Amino acid sequence: MSETITYLTDVAMITCVVQSGDADDIVKAAREAGATAALVYHGRGTGIRERLGLLGIAIDAEKDIVTVLVSSDQREIVADRIFHAGHFDTPARGFLCITPLEKAATYIPQSVKDRLTKKE
Amino acid sequence: MAEHFRFGDYQHELGYGHDEVSFNALTPKLQRDLEGRLIPYQPTPIKLMSKEVFKLLQPYVSVRFMEQVKSVIPLALYLALFQILILRQLVEDSWVITGGLFAVIVGLMFFMEGLKLGLMPFGTVIGKRLPQKSPLPMVLFITLLLGIGVTFAEPAIGALKAAGQKVAVERAPYLFALLNDWSELLVLVIGFSVGFAAVIGTLRFLYGWSLKPLIYISLGSVLGLTLYGAFDPELTKILGLAWDAGAVTTGPVTVPLVLFLFVLLRLVLKETLKNMGEIVYGIGLTIIGMCLFNAGLTYGLSKLGGNVGSLVPAAFMELSTVPLSPLYIYVVGLVLSLVFAFGLGYGATVAEPALNALGTTAQSLTNGVFKKKTLIAAVSLGVAIGIAIGLAKLIFNLPLVWLIMPGYVLALVLTYFSSETFVNVAWDSAGVTTGPITVPLVLAMGLGFGNATNAVEGFGILSMASIGPILTVLATGLLSDYNARNEALAVTKASGIPHV
Repeated sequence: MSETITYLTDVAMITCVVQSGDADDIVKAAREAGATAALVYHGRGTGIRERLGLLGIAIDAEKDIVTVLVSSDQREIVADRIFHAGHFDTPARGFLCITPLEKAATYIPQSVKDRLTKKE
Repeated sequence: MAEHFRFGDYQHELGYGHDEVSFNALTPKLQRDLEGRLIPYQPTPIKLMSKEVFKLLQPYVSVRFMEQVKSVIPLALYLALFQILILRQLVEDSWVITGGLFAVIVGLMFFMEGLKLGLMPFGTVIGKRLPQKSPLPMVLFITLLLGIGVTFAEPAIGALKAAGQKVAVERAPYLFALLNDWSELLVLVIGFSVGFAAVIGTLRFLYGWSLKPLIYISLGSVLGLTLYGAFDPELTKILGLAWDAGAVTTGPVTVPLVLFLFVLLRLVLKETLKNMGEIVYGIGLTIIGMCLFNAGLTYGLSKLGGNVGSLVPAAFMELSTVPLSPLYIYVVGLVLSLVFAFGLGYGATVAEPALNALGTTAQSLTNGVFKKKTLIAAVSLGVAIGIAIGLAKLIFNLPLVWLIMPGYVLALVLTYFSSETFVNVAWDSAGVTTGPITVPLVLAMGLGFGNATNAVEGFGILSMASIGPILTVLATGLLSDYNARNEALAVTKASGIPHV
């Protein structure tokens, strides 16, 4: 067992907040744009819903929150795909933000490690 | 200037079709009072242009509309096609029925959304506060009242009452009296028992009682009463109603219940709710939805069901209303009718939204041993078999006791051998299957069928539809248990470890 931890750098996190039930579309779009994995959790949103008055009922207060880790090269295209797949250009359908991450670590398969070291 | 660019940097800088606006330009400037304290900022209401309003409402409406379309249309198509292709009869008043079905879809859509907005908040607050603020007897008493309220508000009970008008007075006087003169009392009695059952259910939940003994006790006494009724020629005719009532009571709820909950909240718990506007809107929606649904029920689902029901017997016997009947040789026609009932049961159940929820729960409860797909298939199969048997009961005029007794005795035996988890899921599935679409359809079909074949009453099909899934789910549960055990055995044998 090796003691060294291989850190991944150039990682960005895309966080999306969408109406409950829409998460699967987002995950699909992200995956098609090359993202490896996504995490979905639930929450409750406030703000716009209250300010819209009675129209607010068209917005589900229950939200799905999707976080996707992408490489910094990918982030523009993944964010783009998510934006369009989630119809973020219509009122109250969703929101996304991109955060740069310093580094990340997880299990990296040996074959991938070998390939990367060979390149150098 | 560097000679090499990373493609990612290039892409980022290029920013195809991206604009940037500083968020600072959008956030409000905060005001301070004379002493330098911040004045809390009051957000202004957002004004949308009509185009934006449309864009906002369009997905909201279409998603909810399609949900109901998916559950109603396939069934209606099945009924209509069967009537046209197999029975070779045109659907009468097809425009009225189409309008009715549309009303059912829109009504259900309004009702469900209203329920979510107007009723769910009550449930959440009461569920959280009641046990904290009131002693156990109070909680149980309120549970009892709730059970009664829920039954009074139940739309399927209305279907039962409407069905009573089609019963012939001279042939089943007790049944007629119960459904017409004493219908309020009947609903009250049914409601009281639902409330009582809810109290027992709560106690069971609190003290972790096993479901099995409760099933043994209640089913034992009910079967005893049924046997007693079976030997009284007058009471026999009520048995169908009695067993069907059990299937009817579990469904959606509505307005008087909201009032009750509201009073409970204000007087007992002294709590208030946020978003009163939304709740009023939700309750308004449920009322509109209920009206539309009832109208649609009369002109759409019930009419279609009754129509087909009264025509199906033409497949194997002579009916004065249908020329050229019987349409098929007796045996072929009979098989066709039973296959029709089977298909109707299967289709109606697969579409039931509550079953989907139960499937998910069952899957997580049994750690995946009981797959969601398996459960839905098992329950649908059970309902299908149940309805087919119920139809056979009407055709051959079998006494209901003959079908109920062995069915529930078998269910008791299977319950004895099954694990607690499966028992819970199986007995719950009986209640889930009879929702707002299945009940009126099947009741109307049974009554139409009964009238055409001159049966005394068309009840009993629903009770068969309730027992079917219990049996199939218990059987499936035992089978998957058995399989899992066999697999485990095979694994231990293969790995050479002696099985202890």
